[in-house]
Amino acid sequence: MQVFKAYFKVMRASAGAISIYIAIFLGLSVAFSLAEAPQEAERFAQTRTPIAVINRDGDASLAQGLAGYLADTSRVVPYPDDPEKLQDALFFRDVEYIAIIPAGFSADFLSGRDCAVQNVTVSGSISSRYVDMRIDKYLRTARLRHQYGGDQSQEELAATVRADLAQETPVTVLSSSATNGSERGFVFYYRYFAYAVLATIMMGVSSIMMAFNKPDLRRRNLCAPIPARSANLQLAAGHTIFALVCWSVLVLCSFVLYGRSLLSSGLVWLYCLNTLAFTVVSASIGFLVGSSVRSTGAQAGAVNVIANGMCFIGGVFVPQSILSKKVLDVGRFLPAYWYVKANDAISGLSRATAGALLPIYGDVLIQLAFAAAIFATTLLLTKERQAE
Amino acid sequence: MFMHIYKYRLRCLARDREMVFWTLIFPLILATMFHFAFDQLMGRQEAFRPIRTAVVASDAYRQNVAFRQALDALSGPGEGQLIELTVTDDREARRLLADGAVAGVITVGDPIGLTVSQSGIEQSILKAVLDEYAHRYATVTGILEEHPADPGGLLWELGQMRSYTQQISFSSAEPDTTLNFFYALIAMTCLYGGFLGLRNTTDVQADLSPQGARRSVAPTHKLGVVLYDSAAALTISLAEVTVLLAYLMLALRVNFGNQVWYVLLTSLAGCIAGVSLGAFIGTFVRKSENAKTGILIGTTMTMSFLAGLMIDTMKHTIARKAPVLSYINPAALITDAFYSLYVFASHRRFFLNIGLLLLISGAMCTLSFLRLRRDRYASL
Repeated sequence: MQVFKAYFKVMRASAGAISIYIAIFLGLSVAFSLAEAPQEAERFAQTRTPIAVINRDGDASLAQGLAGYLADTSRVVPYPDDPEKLQDALFFRDVEYIAIIPAGFSADFLSGRDCAVQNVTVSGSISSRYVDMRIDKYLRTARLRHQYGGDQSQEELAATVRADLAQETPVTVLSSSATNGSERGFVFYYRYFAYAVLATIMMGVSSIMMAFNKPDLRRRNLCAPIPARSANLQLAAGHTIFALVCWSVLVLCSFVLYGRSLLSSGLVWLYCLNTLAFTVVSASIGFLVGSSVRSTGAQAGAVNVIANGMCFIGGVFVPQSILSKKVLDVGRFLPAYWYVKANDAISGLSRATAGALLPIYGDVLIQLAFAAAIFATTLLLTKERQAE
Repeated sequence: MFMHIYKYRLRCLARDREMVFWTLIFPLILATMFHFAFDQLMGRQEAFRPIRTAVVASDAYRQNVAFRQALDALSGPGEGQLIELTVTDDREARRLLADGAVAGVITVGDPIGLTVSQSGIEQSILKAVLDEYAHRYATVTGILEEHPADPGGLLWELGQMRSYTQQISFSSAEPDTTLNFFYALIAMTCLYGGFLGLRNTTDVQADLSPQGARRSVAPTHKLGVVLYDSAAALTISLAEVTVLLAYLMLALRVNFGNQVWYVLLTSLAGCIAGVSLGAFIGTFVRKSENAKTGILIGTTMTMSFLAGLMIDTMKHTIARKAPVLSYINPAALITDAFYSLYVFASHRRFFLNIGLLLLISGAMCTLSFLRLRRDRYASL
């Protein structure tokens, strides 16, 4: 068991560099899960577009009524009347619509002159149409009430319009669990899981292999009275245990962070299965990296490029639904693509029927095939190098 | 003397392959990844598509002519088409909804109802459409009850569908959130110039490296050596950032506006900040080489994270919640300089960023030189 023991001694020495990815990942996950607001799935929640309302018409009742109506139907983010600040807010989507009620608007409107609420928005976007509709509706109603509804003061007009707009269409929500899945926190957690587990295991496995492959150390070990087969088996056992520990730490943390919602979803075992398959893939890639690099600098480079590259193109960092077809075609050649595909399918499941599960099992098998292929290639490469 | 030291320093730094990888190749790879990841989003507008809707063909629906006309008006093909309508029976409508083929099902009754399978913007628009119908119904009946004088005019006005919104713009630039990722990436690359600055400080301090010991014995003035070394580091760093910029502009077609010289000025200021940061950490952290590199990576990554390298809205969130941070974070200043070049016509904010950047770099350089000068060694 000397080799097995030495394995974890080496591991302890480089624990800092190895655990950094898990630490960052968990830190971010905690931050995100705290920021996430609890959601009610059963009731219909009207989308409230974040908007900024700049009322330059001051105290006029009609303008105030409009601003009030917008405040009730959208989420108003307070902003000063400063084009630079507003532009920043729009660029970073802090607000998606800026409505500017020009000075003298109410008076112009009531006397029938041409007038309009100015808006700054991402042109043609869906949310801009949504807010446009609301403004038009308020003002059209005001126009009808003003022109045909007899004499009334501006305050009365604003009040009548609000009364007209009070009615709500009843909305029934049909089995919401299926589609609300994409909004649950653990869905993101399990997508980013791939990056954390890949980077950590790659770093860990390759660090150990580099330590044991140092030429002098290796030569000495070859002289030792332990058969090579036994030594290699002990190393393999070490890799397996290390990978399993990483995996279980991450899975356990998901229970801590999302416990009840995760368990009640009934998807835990599918997530476990999929992540376990990707853990095997990560170990095989770590094995490949460990047997190919010599210096710690090259190792850090390889780990970063492979982990980031695979996660970008495979759809971990950016959802696959947003990636272009070209990129997805390339992504198919990476195990992370299949991991994310299975993960998305699991998250979209409403109930575990055999027909819905088959493609997920397929994706898991493809990942395992990747792992086997990478593992075999590595063995072949080391064999050849030994022969030299 | 300048040429001699400068030339050899250039060679020395450029031949450090690991450093070239991190300061040049790695950013290029990241840029390519960003490009692939945001390929579909870049420069593309968040286009509006008519909302697929089903309506249950009940008797109530057939009899409600006004509502049918309203739906026809909304689903007529053309610029203003809001919904794409399928008229079908109750069972089929529910199936379409369950399959996600329609966003919602309208059932005509009293009142008119909507059935959806989730909450979202499309469903909200559908509800707003139905609300609008109900509201207009309320308005018209309300007016006709109280003032039945001119129903013709009322209906005419109702049919006008006047628009009271007018789109204006603060800037000619199309707001494209993916740009900030690239800006933050350049900021990261500029700050990675810190690796060069860090290496310089190691090679000039006699207690840290044999080269440092040898150079301390030489009769050259210390300030001169430090300045020439920094000039070499700056040259390499700027060259690397320029390569990255060229790659972004020419190969990946990232939009920086049309002000190439200002873009280069930003890169220069960014590289100065990077090299100074490296020098600062190299002189003030008295730990092993690895620890210094670790601290440098940690610092630059934190700065880039806060400038929006990983999450596009991060920079704006920081600017709103903790504005001080965005004024002292070099990565945020570089990113904001590119952003203000792209978005604003005036250069006020741009020069504020560059000024702060140079101020911070100046402070770091002065402190490191004060720390470096007059070092005396009893034995080497």
